[in-house]
Formats: sequence, structure tokens, C-alpha cells
Amino acid sequence: MGFGDLKTAAGLYVLNDFLADRSYIEGFGPSQADVAVFEAVSAPPPADLCHALRWYNHIQSYEKQKASLPGVKKALGKYGPADVEDTTAGATADTKDDDDIDLFGSDDEEESEEAKRLREERLAQYESKKSKKPAVVAKSSILLDVKPWDDETDMAKLEECVRSIQTDGLVWGSSKLVPVGYGIKKLQIQCVVEDDKVGTDMLEERITAFEDYVQSMDVAAFNKI
Amino acid sequence: MAAAAGPRLGAEELGLLEKSLGLAKGNKYGAQGERKTPVLQTNNGPSLIGLTTIATHLVKQAKKEQLLGNTAEEKAVVQQWLEYRVTQVDGQSNKEDTRIILKDLNSYLEDKVYLAGNNFTLADILMYYGLHHIMVDLTVQEKEKYLNVSRWFNHIQHYPDFKAAVSKTTSFASIDVYFLM
Repeated sequence: MGFGDLKTAAGLYVLNDFLADRSYIEGFGPSQADVAVFEAVSAPPPADLCHALRWYNHIQSYEKQKASLPGVKKALGKYGPADVEDTTAGATADTKDDDDIDLFGSDDEEESEEAKRLREERLAQYESKKSKKPAVVAKSSILLDVKPWDDETDMAKLEECVRSIQTDGLVWGSSKLVPVGYGIKKLQIQCVVEDDKVGTDMLEERITAFEDYVQSMDVAAFNKI
Repeated sequence: MAAAAGPRLGAEELGLLEKSLGLAKGNKYGAQGERKTPVLQTNNGPSLIGLTTIATHLVKQAKKEQLLGNTAEEKAVVQQWLEYRVTQVDGQSNKEDTRIILKDLNSYLEDKVYLAGNNFTLADILMYYGLHHIMVDLTVQEKEKYLNVSRWFNHIQHYPDFKAAVSKTTSFASIDVYFLM
């Protein structure tokens, strides 16, 4: 846990992310947790980290009651997102101490195995929780411009080739031919993709593979649905 | 929509407010006119009409004036949001109005924890009640889009005194706003 070094931009960034959907470091009221983190942040966060700045200004308003806020102050590394490694000075000092005293390597191993088991248990719990939630499938609507080589390219055949690309999470939509000049027309075709399964890079690769017909391909519009 | 927040909810809202203020229950609320404006008949005075008027009166009765703001500016901001609640939030009639309200609030709350100043005020309470039926209908994506509103809403529904009053009702029960997990 922890935010990393709150004196650095990276640390503040983690803090900002953490506070996006929270008003306080812990719970729903100001506490010593806020004081501890507040004291570690040396100056008001920059304006683009709006969540961190909001929190900072808010906690600053408790300056006078600081000592009387509830809770017990813990090491800085005990706060914040669980998936960030604790890199605060206290935590590293702790592990050093361990090394000095620990004469029996086996103890250490056992402990880490225990920790590993615990972590795996938690992970499994988290996974099962996550899988119960209905997954939100992110989709995008993409408008592609496919350009032929010259006016003699068979556009019907070109379209057929493009539509022949079939893959999971890809649905072709309407298309039309748009004149570009000198009798040359380009194919404008709509498709809907599932973001996780299909990317524009992959589409480009597959479409330009019909090199007899296709000179180039551009993404004309890309909208999240 | 104004009708939805009408007589029943208006009275229920005030009843809840009484409870969270620690006032002895006993006030009866009526409704007046086509818009079903809540009315409170005081014991030995004139009857009070209108949601924010009655709410402000209750706060003063409970001697919790800090809920109306501490400084002159804070008091003004609290009034500003009470007015917003009855004119804009209760007056919204279609999706577009709702979107504008959420968008405005979202940008307002970006750098704030509470609506007025750095304290929980009556503005937070009444805006919570007013927005509740809107928040219930939002999709997960919308809640994420209006992140600052969602955070504020979640914060208010967990606010100690307030939570106790809200948790026992169905009309304004806490709703899930966790979307980042």
C-alpha cells in the first residue's frame, strides 16, 4: 500500500487517482489518516491534479482542529491504494532491520509462503467477485476510408474483400462510395468493434492485405459507444 | 418530475430532516396548490410554505445554525443551492434538463467536498434528496461520467448523522455508486 513518494509527481498522481471517487483518505470524514498524508505532501498539488488539490484544500481547512481529528496516525505506507508498493522510508527501513536480526532464513521463507497463499486467496476472492458483475463491453463505432489504386479498381470487388474480413467482435455496417477526383472513388465503410477484441491496427493490417485493390486505409472517425 | 418529488416525498423529506436534526417528531405537513408545495402549520404562528423555508426553519428550531453556513458568504452559498434545488432540480422536466444539472454540478464539485464551504450543510441534505431519484436511474457509465457528483453523493449518504436517518427509508435509501472496482 501507499502512494509512493508524495514529494514527486508520480506520488501525487497516485494520490489524485485514489481521491477521484473519495472525499477523504479513509472513511467519510476527516481523520488522522488525512493529517498523515497531508503532512507528507509538501505543497498544494498542481491544478491539473484536481482531486488531490480539492482534498488538499479541504484538509487545510481543518488546520486548527488537526490534533482533535479522530483516528490513530499510522505509517504513511499504510494508506492509499492496495496495489501500489510501499516505498516510503519507514517501510524500507523495516525490511533492513529484518535482515539484520533474521538469522534463520527458513522462517522468512515460510512467512512469505503464508503471505503468498493469503494473497492468492484474496486474488481469487476478488476474481470471483469481479466475475459476478455483469461485464461492460466497451464498443466503438469506426468509419473507415479505403482508397483504391486508380479509377479502374473494381470497387464492388474491393468492398467484397473488406466485408470478407470476419472476426469475433467485428460487425460491418453501411458503406458508400465517395468520389475523390479524376473518377476515383474511395470506399467509406462503417463498422462496430468490441474494443477488447478488435483494434484499428488489426483492421488496417487485414484490409491493406488485399493489396491488389487497396492502396491505403484511414480511420475517418472513431467514436466510443 | 416535479410531481414525483411532490407531496409524499416533500413531507417524507422533511420528516427525515427532523429526525437527523434530532427534533421531536410531531410536525404535520400538508400540501398546497397544484404543485403540492409542502406546508407546515406552526403551533402559534403563521403557516410556513415551501420546502426550503420549512427546512431552514427546522434547522433553526434545532439550534443547528451551522448547517446554514458559518460565514456570511457560506450562508449565501447555502441559500443559492437551496434555491437551485427547488427551481432547477425540482423543475427539471426532461433528460436534457437532467443532463445539464448533472454537468453543472459535476464541474462545480470538482474542487469541492461539500456544496458550501468546507462543511456539511443543509444544502447538501436537500440536494441529496432532490437528486436521489436521478442518481437511482443513472447507469454505471453515467455515474462514472459524473464522477464528482457520484463522489459527493456517496460521501453525503455516508455522512454520520445523515446516514442513520436515510438508511431506514426506501424512498431515499443509499445507492451503490461504486464503479471503479
